[in-house]
Amino acid sequence: MKIAVLYGTETGNAEMLAEDLAAELEGDHEVVCKNLSAVDPAGFDAATFYILVSSTYGDGDLPASAQPFAKAVEAKAPDLSGIHFAIFGLGDSEYHDTFNGGGEKLAALMTARGAVQVGERVTHDASGPDMAEDLAFPWARAVVETAANLVGEDA
Amino acid sequence: MSRRVAIVGAGPSGCFVAQALLKARPELQVDVLDRLPVPYGLVRYGVAADHQGTKAITRQFSRLFERQGARFFGNVAIGRDLTLEALREAYDAVVIATGLAADRRLGVPGDDLAGVYGAGRITRALYEHPDAEPLPPLGPRPLIVGNGNVAIDLLRLLAKTPGELDGSDLGPGPTAWLAGSGIEEITILGRSPASAARFDAVMLKELVRLGGVSISVEDLGTAETEEGTRTLEALAALRGHGTGARRIRFVFARRPLAVEGAGHVTGLLCAAPDGGEERFAATSILTAIGFDGETATAQSGSAVRMAPGLYGAGWFARGPRGTIPDNRADAQALASLILADLDAMPATGQRGELLACLPGVVTYDGWTRIDAAETATPPPGRCRAKIADRAAMLSLAAGGDQKESH
Repeated sequence: MKIAVLYGTETGNAEMLAEDLAAELEGDHEVVCKNLSAVDPAGFDAATFYILVSSTYGDGDLPASAQPFAKAVEAKAPDLSGIHFAIFGLGDSEYHDTFNGGGEKLAALMTARGAVQVGERVTHDASGPDMAEDLAFPWARAVVETAANLVGEDA
Repeated sequence: MSRRVAIVGAGPSGCFVAQALLKARPELQVDVLDRLPVPYGLVRYGVAADHQGTKAITRQFSRLFERQGARFFGNVAIGRDLTLEALREAYDAVVIATGLAADRRLGVPGDDLAGVYGAGRITRALYEHPDAEPLPPLGPRPLIVGNGNVAIDLLRLLAKTPGELDGSDLGPGPTAWLAGSGIEEITILGRSPASAARFDAVMLKELVRLGGVSISVEDLGTAETEEGTRTLEALAALRGHGTGARRIRFVFARRPLAVEGAGHVTGLLCAAPDGGEERFAATSILTAIGFDGETATAQSGSAVRMAPGLYGAGWFARGPRGTIPDNRADAQALASLILADLDAMPATGQRGELLACLPGVVTYDGWTRIDAAETATPPPGRCRAKIADRAAMLSLAAGGDQKESH
């Protein structure tokens, strides 16, 4: 399956996790890893499964590198029906209750344009006991398995 | 032969420059120096002990040394162990990323009285920097001057109950100091109106979790910007919070005129918004009004070339403003500038090792031994037991590579 891991990052933690995820999936799939700042919302492809990784910045906001993407989605309003994505969030519960806000906003942005979310949105808590990849790797394997039966079906 | 870059200062800005350089050109030789035996600078000694999530960026930096090929040389001080000229001679590019650590003074009469302390002095001691001065008694009514996140960090740590410090890496000495502080009231006072306060709203919201305090907020005023509105909303949500014994009082729009006291602080005299003067009683004054020190140039910027092959990064380059992510963006811009300069530079010949043969140098392996010792058996409620003593750090670091540093 063609997989694109797209990340929104502020301090680089989401970028590192995205690269780790891409490396983890590379053996079995055709994987690319890209910063959301370099992604054209009009260029989504129904034959590719998109794994989004997004941190949260400030008060539940999107991280800096996802903001141009979000603006472009709002401005271009692309039709994303037939696009499948899964989303993994990063946050820090030490600061506030909206620690998973970045992932939540990005998921809403995608589904509002007709994209279909695969699997649950999971958020890693930087102040929690787990390593991000320990949560993200099994999650990614599960969503990729689910997506294998969906992606490209109605393309 | 591959190009060599030396980065002076292993704090977040220096590490982000190294990361960006190696990501673009994995074949570069990037050496990161620090005058301390341990890396990560501000992340270890400036980010609050109870903000472990923020400190998680060190996972990126350990990868820098473990997988991206950067080398760490700790316990190396420019001017003590080698000259900047020698370093520039041995490397194609040298980046100064030493930060700014000196507390800016209030600049009013009495600001040198006993009982006036800079926030940096206090936080270095709280976070067990090896060069920190001892933690002083603050008395029952400390007053914090400043409206930024450093002021909030200080306030929060002073206000927390011992149980609220669980999960942090605050050491036993600072923990005992806080537990025995006897603080009754903390005033946090700013020169600007509330709407212009530089606190991040999210840092204010965090205070709502404090269990042992009661919070008052005076002179909220009105806001004209979106950011100001956010700040006011967060402050309004704090007003009246809690019924705890320790009182927190936010005061705005007071311009300090003089620190009062004979020999020791007794209060702060301020100009009030109504044009009159107002006295705030205090047993100590903690200034969190910014940092000072030598910077790269008069006109600071994100990517600073001070001379051919010599660059400035982080707060050294941009001045004492900007968060860790801001400095990451700057570091990436600087890395692009350095790479373009390296491409335009004539090839250099064979050069010997400069840093590895310095006596007492701490390698990345040495740091991992210190790190392992600190995290092996932390006390209950703590994630790390920092080693504060330089000699103890050096002896732990030397554990396995005596041969390297004979």
